[in-house]
Amino acid sequence: MPDIAFVKPTLPRGGALVLLLPEGAALTGLAADADEATAGAIARGIEAAAFTGRKAQTATLYAPGAGLARVVLVGLGKPAEVTPEALEAAGGTAWTAIASATEATIAADMLPPAEAARVAMGLVLRAWRFDKYRTTQKPEDMPKLGKIAIATSGVPAAKSAWTPLRAVADGVFLARELVAEPPNVLHPVEMAERCKALTKLGVEVEVLGPKEMRKLGFGALLGVAMGSEIEARMVVMRWNGAKKKGAPPVCFVGKGVTFDTGGISIKPAGGMEDMKWDMAGAGCVVGLMAALAGRKARVDAVGLVGLVENMPSGTAQRPGDVVTSASGQTIEVLNTDAEGRLVLADVLWYAQKHFSPKYIVDLATLTGAIIVALGHEHAGLFSNDDALSQKLTAAGLVTGEAVWRMPLGEAYDKGLKSDIADMKNIGGGRAGSSITAAQFIQRFIEPGTPWAHLDIAGTAWSTKDAPTIPKGATAYGVRLLDRLVADHDEDA
Amino acid sequence: MTRTPEPGEDTTLKTGMPRLRLRGDAPKPGRTTILPLAIGEIPAGLAEVAAAAGFSGAAGQAVRVSAPGFPDLVLAGAGMDAWERAGGSAMALLDATPPVLAGPARRIALDLRGLPPRAAIAVATGAALRGWTPPIRRQAPVPKRLRLILHVAEPEDLAEDVLAMQGVLAGVGFCRTLVAEPANILTPRRFAARLRALQDDGVTVEVMGVGALRAAGAGALLAVGRASAHPPCLVILRWPGTTGDERLVLVGKGMTFDTGGISIKPAAGMQDMRADMAGAAACAGAVLALARRRSPAPVTAVLALAENMPGRDAWRPGDVIRTLSGRSVETIDTDAEGRMVLADALAWAVRHERPAALVDLATLTGSIVTALGHHRAGMFGTDAPLLAHVGGAGEATGDAVWHMPIGAAHEEALKSDIADLRQCASGRLQPDACHAAAFLRHFAEGIPWVHLDIAGVETREEADWRGPAGPTGFGVRLLAALAAARFEDPHRA
Repeated sequence: MPDIAFVKPTLPRGGALVLLLPEGAALTGLAADADEATAGAIARGIEAAAFTGRKAQTATLYAPGAGLARVVLVGLGKPAEVTPEALEAAGGTAWTAIASATEATIAADMLPPAEAARVAMGLVLRAWRFDKYRTTQKPEDMPKLGKIAIATSGVPAAKSAWTPLRAVADGVFLARELVAEPPNVLHPVEMAERCKALTKLGVEVEVLGPKEMRKLGFGALLGVAMGSEIEARMVVMRWNGAKKKGAPPVCFVGKGVTFDTGGISIKPAGGMEDMKWDMAGAGCVVGLMAALAGRKARVDAVGLVGLVENMPSGTAQRPGDVVTSASGQTIEVLNTDAEGRLVLADVLWYAQKHFSPKYIVDLATLTGAIIVALGHEHAGLFSNDDALSQKLTAAGLVTGEAVWRMPLGEAYDKGLKSDIADMKNIGGGRAGSSITAAQFIQRFIEPGTPWAHLDIAGTAWSTKDAPTIPKGATAYGVRLLDRLVADHDEDA
Repeated sequence: MTRTPEPGEDTTLKTGMPRLRLRGDAPKPGRTTILPLAIGEIPAGLAEVAAAAGFSGAAGQAVRVSAPGFPDLVLAGAGMDAWERAGGSAMALLDATPPVLAGPARRIALDLRGLPPRAAIAVATGAALRGWTPPIRRQAPVPKRLRLILHVAEPEDLAEDVLAMQGVLAGVGFCRTLVAEPANILTPRRFAARLRALQDDGVTVEVMGVGALRAAGAGALLAVGRASAHPPCLVILRWPGTTGDERLVLVGKGMTFDTGGISIKPAAGMQDMRADMAGAAACAGAVLALARRRSPAPVTAVLALAENMPGRDAWRPGDVIRTLSGRSVETIDTDAEGRMVLADALAWAVRHERPAALVDLATLTGSIVTALGHHRAGMFGTDAPLLAHVGGAGEATGDAVWHMPIGAAHEEALKSDIADLRQCASGRLQPDACHAAAFLRHFAEGIPWVHLDIAGVETREEADWRGPAGPTGFGVRLLAALAAARFEDPHRA
């Protein structure tokens, strides 16, 4: 991640200069200074490039004079639509135009200082790279820009707005990295080790292995792990940031199947490599805990992740097996590829028993059906609580991590009826199968506990670049849930 | 433009619903009788027999007992307020073991004398809907139509409600019967012929054949129907109403059979595609329901009827089609034909019917079945008040819907390299229901519009209290309730 420095608005003597321009606005501040210093080259360039300031429009003017190597124009859209989210997108767009420069200044002098920080946020979110496993990359293919100056009229205010944002960005990066890591490197044991690093931020981290989980009666989670050489883990992360002690914590639970072959109900080979990100729910929870601790959120929060690998083998769980979950309810496993809900069942039960939380949000790359239902723009939201749903929906709108509420109901629950156990782990075929999965999970939620389940199978990974998210792991959920907590759960 | 039916065309209005009679007296002793009861409100005289049968009056409970004078008495539980379910559950029980005592006339009495009007109507509605029978073609004698005798305290007080109920029942029955008909019997032309029967109720029926469709430029509907020996048509049903010129316009997909065309479907389950006209049938049923009770709401139904067949002159994947709206569409999959015929029907409605609101119904996508299963239809739209009213009408009538999104990415997926629009996206795991809705939105052209994707809810896999296995009639009640709630007031905002 490039370093961000907030500086006073003076015209740089070289390098790249980024001008953020709303539609139809006159050049003011640094932009006007640059135009004057270059004897009108900016205004001429705007005209020659037919640059109107339309949202996401860019134009690059090379060597316009005054020592500047290039001036990059980024459109912000109509003045009324210049929201903080639009400024983040502009920051991300600016990065793609200046990554090959050696030094750069972004003129954010016409924005309030807090919004200048949002430009920085968008920029660093887009600039993230995962180059750990590249050994032959040529220097010219790497960004050269290590440091970016953001010119603002209120340096101290921008800095103080930036500090918590940077912590959230770090949480996003941690989540992205965990999701991007290959499954031979990031298996349950390794992922639990990486969770321990959060202790440096003041998070209490407790790791439970198969022995402890067996004692807790985690038959559902351990059944999934049975086929793998690598042991299962559950990690409990606690951030105690509330000023007032003793209030129930907020609680986040993530599905962490570090690789999902489907087990004996094995998946088709095509696209199976994507199943390394079947731990994105857990990755989000770890990233979220890092974000909350990093910005010292005034909240008590617990993050729990159930970490397993789902493999076919001589010791694997079979279709038809009956397992007993921690709640005591028995489950007939008819499809070993419906494993995420088995992991969540035990971890959610533990979370409620140990923490009596204010609410629980679980995240899981749970069903392909949610992609067929909603696509990649919205995660599926299932909840027993209208107020929590509304808060999540609102947080989704302002973070760009959108949710869409999906139905629950008795008619769907009936599909889980088993002939020999309390329930089976799938309904009857594809019809409504994201809903059936949510109904399954709801059977492990005690009445009265506000709960939301986010099916993030369509949003955890992206095959296209977005303004603030390079293609690949999106870390979907970190900013959404950070915002949920910030808006509703922190002490005054 | 009207056309005289061809020999053999069936133009009678069949509903398959039981006949209803309203009476002010007590049920005739000895006759099979249904007695609906709320929880805990069992008459003293029946307490012992109810207890012995384990009957408490809980919602959905139905038991068959013998009481003095009534050797075949069905006690039906309504719980606190589930009167429709009580009627349906009682009939479901009688369906499982036929009522011998009803006799060859198949008369069943409903003892509704103790109920307030609303509850009595609900019980009768539930019983009638459950007593619907599909069109049966067997050599063996077909049993006579059921007769339900409604015994109420004050028949005069109920006359108007019964008229409205009968309208709704006729509408649902008409819809179900159309959906149940096999595709060799219900071709587009014969479907249109059956719709002519609505003229008897004061509905004007206009049928646009191939010539008229060509003149109108309905390239999409013509392309879809091109390979079939049974040509497509657009049927326009108009109920005049009295509240003004702006109309509620219903648009229905009526694929009398959908093979998928050149993008042919797998053989397994293809027989269900005779129901791919359920959207059009629901719109027609709703118009009948409104006409029967002389609704003041001006309503038009525009029904795109066609058969999608493979053939040597069939429409192909890759073909670019000019639609009635003028927009060109690049074909990706000839099995995404529903959105094509709806595109032309919507555009026609926008140009000719002065719609205050457009509501289309279609068994459109497998994607919506994956998304919502068989318990709710997908609802998409552009207008928050209309969405709220459709959603409310759905909850009130049991035709439940769920609001689904049309996002920027869904719109993006429809960009074509060579035409104004692509018809759908290719590849697996596509949110095709959302893509289809984004596609249709173009053809509503800014008019308040709601699209109901009713794939998955048009057919009932197993009999339950709402009806026997087969067509559900989904949408008829919703649309009739929507018209009543929103379009009958001449001063509506």
